[in-house]
Amino acid sequence: MSMDSTLASDPQTIATGVWHPPHSSREVPSRLMDIGGSLMVLSSEEDEEDKRLAWGIRSDIEVSPRVGSIPRRIVFGNESVFETCDNDAVDAYLRSRGEGRSGFVHGLEIVRPRLIAFALATIVLASVIYRYALPILVEIAVLATPPVVPEMMSAGTLKTLDQVTFGPSKLPAAQQTEIRNDFATIAANAEGGAGRYHLNFRDGGLIGPNAFALPDGNLVLTDQLVELAGGDKELIAAVLSHEIGHVEYRHSLRQLYRAAGVAGLVLLIAGDVGSGIQDLLTQGGGLLALSYSREAEAQADRRSVELMQAAGMDPTALSRFFDILETKLGDHSSTSMLSTHPGTPERKQAILGYARELKGKGTKPKG
Amino acid sequence: MAVVEQDYPLGGSPFFQRASFTGNASEYFGIWIVNILLTIVTLGIYSAWAKVRRNRYFYGNTVILDHSFEYHAKGKQILIGRLIVFGVFFVLNVLSHIAPLAVLVIWPVLLVVFPWFLMRGLRFNARVTSYRNVRFDFVGTYGGAFKAIFLGALVTIVSFGLLSPIASRWFYKYIFDNLRYGDRPFSTEPRLGALYEALVTVIAIMIVSIVILGVVSAFAIGFSSNSMGPGMGSLSLWHWMIVLIFPIYLFAGLYYRATVRNIVWSAATVDHRHELRSDLGRRRYAWIAISNVVVTLVTLGLMRPWAAVRMQRFLAEHTAISIDGEIGVVFDQIRSTGNAISAEYLDVDGFDFGF
Repeated sequence: MSMDSTLASDPQTIATGVWHPPHSSREVPSRLMDIGGSLMVLSSEEDEEDKRLAWGIRSDIEVSPRVGSIPRRIVFGNESVFETCDNDAVDAYLRSRGEGRSGFVHGLEIVRPRLIAFALATIVLASVIYRYALPILVEIAVLATPPVVPEMMSAGTLKTLDQVTFGPSKLPAAQQTEIRNDFATIAANAEGGAGRYHLNFRDGGLIGPNAFALPDGNLVLTDQLVELAGGDKELIAAVLSHEIGHVEYRHSLRQLYRAAGVAGLVLLIAGDVGSGIQDLLTQGGGLLALSYSREAEAQADRRSVELMQAAGMDPTALSRFFDILETKLGDHSSTSMLSTHPGTPERKQAILGYARELKGKGTKPKG
Repeated sequence: MAVVEQDYPLGGSPFFQRASFTGNASEYFGIWIVNILLTIVTLGIYSAWAKVRRNRYFYGNTVILDHSFEYHAKGKQILIGRLIVFGVFFVLNVLSHIAPLAVLVIWPVLLVVFPWFLMRGLRFNARVTSYRNVRFDFVGTYGGAFKAIFLGALVTIVSFGLLSPIASRWFYKYIFDNLRYGDRPFSTEPRLGALYEALVTVIAIMIVSIVILGVVSAFAIGFSSNSMGPGMGSLSLWHWMIVLIFPIYLFAGLYYRATVRNIVWSAATVDHRHELRSDLGRRRYAWIAISNVVVTLVTLGLMRPWAAVRMQRFLAEHTAISIDGEIGVVFDQIRSTGNAISAEYLDVDGFDFGF
């Protein structure tokens, strides 16, 4: 009796489709019934009409989320599956049970005028992220990086370079002391004071004339660069203050985080943009990272001018270094998208211009 | 199910039935734009779920013999897999800055690990794909992957590319011969001669185009040498030649890819009886691929859904199967709960098989 009344109450057909036994490709034409809150699949096959194929309460049954108009799968506890193309009927059933929220994403995706707004929002958000959020994230990452990380990075790098190419410096001790004294004068005005920076002399080996800064404040000056300067002490001081600028602005960390950020952004939407476009974006990201490092060089150039002026030396001394580069190494190249360093003539002009500007103001630069 | 079935027009056998793609660009546009928007809003976390919705749309609309495929991966699985891969790369990156020499040790290790990643990725993608409620599976071993990748690369390099068809044959045999549909095996026997023919054709295309380009530019230099300084003129022309060689290279690569797909798929069978076939028009394939990228770029990406649907439709409509007798009822051993699936996190992008 009770059985009768249950069935008689509201055996409503939700949708028609096919039913698969668990893990089998066999198909039985069937219909999905709603029986007082639980679901039942009844066969529609001629010889087995109304045979019960599967039954379960809603909480044991998984209904696949709707994507476009692909067939919907209703998976029962025993892993048998009812499949139907009647997405709307399934949605109506879910809504009637107050489960409409499960179709939230599909609701957004339906083709409507508001998709235009979505497209605009996507473009705006993407450019905002690139323009503002990425630099902010980089700043946060730089601030959150404990000082031990740059120290470890630097220690490892210097050790490796010492093993691979560098040799002990062959500069006379007197010359080294002279350069060290100048260096101390400049560094006194730099962030963190003279104690934060340490100058290392090395024979450049394969690397040749070069000066570079490690993020922990260690600076390396090669004998070959001193040679190239040809006794111009201020020039060496100017190059060193440029390198101090890199340390102050934490350029190496910034660049690392920025490159990682751009690569990450591209990778996240990779599947949605297609492989050809993804390659183009990644290459483009590399070019942009390079142009960022040009910005970093310009920043360090300006810092050199400031530090030299604060130390009472010739603020434009760095421009003489570019003269040497032009004459001795024949670097006349102007800036292009593919270069890390801005074109030498351009940098010289920028330095001279900035020194004039500082002089005009007559104010003491930040330090 | 809205299915367009066509009889095979060529090849003499009327029993081949083509697959079809029932999705359309406007429907996919909605899914795509919401995917990207939610990915941005959630700072990338949604991208895992976005991938699931995208794949479900493409698999679910790829129809063969009246039935569509289904993609079963869960967003959480893919997110965890990505976090693992991201973590590994993060550690490696930091390590390469702290101790650059350690990288010299790590890279060989990574190379050895790579076939394992490939194998697990193929397995993941197979196991989360079903057709008529039966899952695919991939039973390839690490050794097989090692042979397919490293031995193949070694043979290719040692022979200066002359043996590369043998290497690619190993690779495709590894993928197909280890693929299972439920309890039914896939296999393929691509003819080595056909693969060599494909390679020779592509090399010939490249050589002929470059020779034509060279002749044309030689004439151009000859004419222009009067007006400008010879050095300057030839320099810019050489630049132009490099710019023009790139699309030739691109076209040749796409042409080759389509040829190889045709060869490998047309040599493949399911259950040793049912034959697969692929008959991509090679120039058409290259045209669709190149114009897709151009259209997508010109429209700032907004036509990407159209491009993706266009390519998928082309691929589906040029893939066919001929059923020999009855398929019968197929069973799988994959349980959707338990270790077999939930332990699978390694989803290596780019190794999707499907259609």
